[in-house]
Amino acid sequence: MLPLTVANLKMLARNRQTTFWALFFPLVLVVAFGLFDPTSFGSFTLAVIDEAQTPAAGQMTAELEGIPNLRVEAEPGGVQAGRRLVADGALDYLLFIPPGFAAGEVFVPATLVANTQDEGRNQLIEGIVRRISEEVILGEATALPPATLVTERLASRQVSYFDLVLFGLVGMGIMTNAIISIAVRISNYRNLSILKRMLVTPLPIWQFFAAEVMAQLALALVQAVVILAVGVFVFKAQINGNVLYLLPVVLLGSLIFLNIGFIVSAWANSPAAASGIGNAVAFPMMFFAGTFFSTATLPGLLPYVADALPLAPMLAALREIAIYEASLGQVWPELAILAGWVAGTALVAIRVFRFS
Amino acid sequence: MFEAIRVEGLVKRFGSFTAVDDVSFVVMAGEIFGILGPNGAGKTTTLEIIEGLQKPSAGRVSVLGLDSRREAGRIKGRIGVQLQSSAYFNFLSLREILHLLGSFYPRRAVPDELLEQVGLADKGSSRVNQLSGGQQQRFTVAASLVNAPELVILDEPTTGLDPQARHNLWALIGEIQRRGITVVLTTHYMEEAEALCQRLAIMDQGRIVAIDTPDNLISRIETTYTVKLVTPAPLTEKQSRPLERVAAVQSVSQDLEAPTGETRDGHIYQLRLDKTPEALNDILDGIVRSGVTLKHLEILPATLEDVFLELTGNELRD
Repeated sequence: MLPLTVANLKMLARNRQTTFWALFFPLVLVVAFGLFDPTSFGSFTLAVIDEAQTPAAGQMTAELEGIPNLRVEAEPGGVQAGRRLVADGALDYLLFIPPGFAAGEVFVPATLVANTQDEGRNQLIEGIVRRISEEVILGEATALPPATLVTERLASRQVSYFDLVLFGLVGMGIMTNAIISIAVRISNYRNLSILKRMLVTPLPIWQFFAAEVMAQLALALVQAVVILAVGVFVFKAQINGNVLYLLPVVLLGSLIFLNIGFIVSAWANSPAAASGIGNAVAFPMMFFAGTFFSTATLPGLLPYVADALPLAPMLAALREIAIYEASLGQVWPELAILAGWVAGTALVAIRVFRFS
Repeated sequence: MFEAIRVEGLVKRFGSFTAVDDVSFVVMAGEIFGILGPNGAGKTTTLEIIEGLQKPSAGRVSVLGLDSRREAGRIKGRIGVQLQSSAYFNFLSLREILHLLGSFYPRRAVPDELLEQVGLADKGSSRVNQLSGGQQQRFTVAASLVNAPELVILDEPTTGLDPQARHNLWALIGEIQRRGITVVLTTHYMEEAEALCQRLAIMDQGRIVAIDTPDNLISRIETTYTVKLVTPAPLTEKQSRPLERVAAVQSVSQDLEAPTGETRDGHIYQLRLDKTPEALNDILDGIVRSGVTLKHLEILPATLEDVFLELTGNELRD
């Protein structure tokens, strides 16, 4: 079986087209999303908690609303809730205007809460908010108090959209390549009578398929490493968790999609048909399982459909481990679902497989 | 001499269709045994049962003294198989393919020696798709020898080859036999069966209709000669009557599918002659009496073509 695995790897390496496309498509998307950071331009968000309820405070909110690219969100329901939103990155800034701001005997400054995601932008926004607060106060008082604005920085997990998408792309690359590659290869082997040729040798035929699967698993690992390396070293993606924990997720996911590839090869009558059917399976799954966008934004019952796809638990586990530093124990539900998919798709593959 | 293959009462049904219908034969060690028949006669199915690719519906097969049901794995280790349409991995060189196939067997031949034996010594680093049709076919024969087998089974080894490549392959198969390997092959070419096989089974519609040496098969049949007349105009009734009256003539048939060459514009008639001592004299006499103008006259000895026709009532066509 080892010589066969080695031969399979040789064939994969020499079949430059396959290997190229195994990496090309996901890498193009890595580059595209790396360049296209939707959070760097366009809007950022700020919420105001106005407990002063003075004309000066009202004027300040109004001026903030006039700043381009700044979207003023609804009040988050308390300072504590607002701070949590900022820490999680769901809200970029929180401005707390306390009672006594620009009114009364003792001057109380406003507080701007920011997170550590984008220091450059923080400087800019602080400057703008400070200037507005000074203008507002000068309209009320004759002299400027020593501090009109205090700033507070919350350490945040730096989860950028690109980080999320990068792990989507790892899953997507492995999924599309495993399904299409195995479907086309097996269909091709059947057409060329290679499967039959194997059956007339004393090689137990399970070893033939095992060697095929091992070579594909090796390719999946190469895919994951290359895609992550480009994301991290070229586009500065952040991996917070233990990279080694990604391994079982990648392997379980690959096994599911290889099984699906075997099933597709049983349906297809030619390698071209295998490629077509493989794409038809892989592409909708790529979008609906949340490679690029959160499935929670899908309408109606579609989020449930999306979660039922085998790519969804794989992506969830990858992101939990890499971004939110989950241990393998913490992602056991996802791993269990993946293992269930492996077993289920293997049963179907064995049932429907045909040699000629 | 021991028996390389023994097939007894073999039946293979696919639903209501019987592909192999009570077939029995024995292949002796060291011989080249041919199975001759048209497409769909059941040749490939019979071979695939011997190779362990298909299970028989009834009957027994033993290969090299091993029972095909109980010891299929051991049989596979000791025989070499060339499938009818066998291609190989696209991205491996010939040497690598032979090495890989060899790794599945306990006993294995040296890839470069195999390539040398089939005249592909300089192609070890080439890929299969860089070979000509004849070279590919020789390579599949080499691939059937990776385990230094005692028996090789070749399914239509020369189908689709030009005459030159076919003769090269015949020489190769003869060479394999000289090295002591038993050869079983199927073919639907009469001249191939006559040139290569020591013994021959003629198969039609799932049954074996005769087994013998090619010479014995030919001498066994009623026809001795086929006389071929080529005339510029169709024979009139007056002209054909003296021919039909010759006692030895079995049949007069007009061959509408004329072969090529000088006979293209003529009208071709084939007369099959009985096995009687006077047959040739009588027919020459009949031709003179008919007064027909001849463009061409051929007297051909009986061939396996005639054997097949007589045994099955059908022409053997590709």
